Amino acid sequence: MYDFNFAPVIASSDQLLRGAAVTLELSVEAMAIGLVISIGLAGAKTSKIAPLRWAVQAYIELIRNTPFLVQIFFIFFGLPSIGLRLTPNSAALLALVVNFCAYATEIIRAGIESIAVGQIEAGRALGLKPLQVFRYIILKPALRTVYPALTSQFIYLMLTSSVVSVISAGDLAAAGNDIQSKTFASMEVYLIITAVYFLMSIVFSAIFSAIEKAAFDYPLSR
Amino acid sequence: MSLTRRNATFLLGAGLLGLATGTAAAQTVAEIKGRKVINVGMLVDFPPFGIMNTENQPDGYDADVAKLLGEYFGVKTNIVPVTGPNRIPYLLSSQVDVLVASLGITPERAEKVDFSAPYAGIRIAVIGDKNQDLSSPEKLVGKRVGVARASTQDTAVTKVAVAGTNIQRFDDDASATQALLSGQVDAIGCSNTVIAQITRVAPGRFKEMFPLSQQVQGIAVRPKQTEFLAAINDFVAKIKADGRLEAISQKWLKAPLADFVAAAK
Repeated sequence: MYDFNFAPVIASSDQLLRGAAVTLELSVEAMAIGLVISIGLAGAKTSKIAPLRWAVQAYIELIRNTPFLVQIFFIFFGLPSIGLRLTPNSAALLALVVNFCAYATEIIRAGIESIAVGQIEAGRALGLKPLQVFRYIILKPALRTVYPALTSQFIYLMLTSSVVSVISAGDLAAAGNDIQSKTFASMEVYLIITAVYFLMSIVFSAIFSAIEKAAFDYPLSR
Repeated sequence: MSLTRRNATFLLGAGLLGLATGTAAAQTVAEIKGRKVINVGMLVDFPPFGIMNTENQPDGYDADVAKLLGEYFGVKTNIVPVTGPNRIPYLLSSQVDVLVASLGITPERAEKVDFSAPYAGIRIAVIGDKNQDLSSPEKLVGKRVGVARASTQDTAVTKVAVAGTNIQRFDDDASATQALLSGQVDAIGCSNTVIAQITRVAPGRFKEMFPLSQQVQGIAVRPKQTEFLAAINDFVAKIKADGRLEAISQKWLKAPLADFVAAAK
């Protein structure tokens, strides 16, 4: 029978808290930046300019068909050779954004393509400018349609961030590994960080539902 | 005589007793030559020093040294796999004649067994960009120092580090080394074998700044076997002198025999 001893882990709780704060910060920043970029890329992917569509498609294929671990190694260890030197935490943020956007672009693109052409024509007929058509007639209903898929991608992004300790970023998993290597209480450490990740996922889900109610709570004609 | 269980137990006990008293006699080279085999205790779970190869035979740095030892005495080498915790008991209970088991020479162990001159060694040190002055722990303040998380070098660097040193922990030596090569850290703590590899892939860019700790490994024999230990020391001196130990080091560590091992008597 394994003897659980949480005392040394509790003693390092401020290190765990700092790690959790870094994980939250990385996740929220990557979600915000990633969402904005993904909307732009989804717009590009549905545009009439073919080279633009091809470029976005190439990026999506490249990222979705390679492991995140390789991507983050490339950004942290590879980019310095062309003179771009990032700190571990900024390299982690960049890697998370680059990875997230490839998936989110496809999700948002699916939403945009679900909008009936007639609806867009109706917007134009009402005299809205092209940007207004995109924002009110296309983007908002598109986001509403794909919102559940998008939020699970957000949660997935936060869980993926547990990999960033490989480039010595100081997130929750890194804090857990450090404590574990000092106290050898690996079972206790991993139980606690699993509980923290779970809790953060639940809280994010609750926030996303609140946002859904606030932003998309209007009746549909169908 | 009918062999009852009681008799059998008695016989077994007497036999074991005889075995124990018989082999506890002083180990001599003549005795080993007489039975034409030397029993060598070796770790098989400590790459690259001791491993099981693809034919499921013991192999590695220690195995090569053990085979040369058998050759030196003109007898067969019988390698007995031992583990870290049981290697000294194996030797003391005479189940093996010597240990070529990556046994680091420490004062505590030297009270139990006698060590030959070192045949291998591990040194850990801080290596960094040669254009920066990182010659002491104080000079590392404000610098980024990479280590493999939970390794000996992690413990050593953490111990000497002055407040303000930015220690970055990676998952293994390979990642820490990569961080040094790509300039993501100014220095790393690593072993002499890793330093040799870095010097080979990036000659002239880095230099060793200051040592953290070093340990040498010796061949261990039971205490007070003066003649036997002297013969083993002759063997170690011979393979150091004729370059065969150097060849083993190149083969398994991909690095020259460390000078502190080569020079040690």
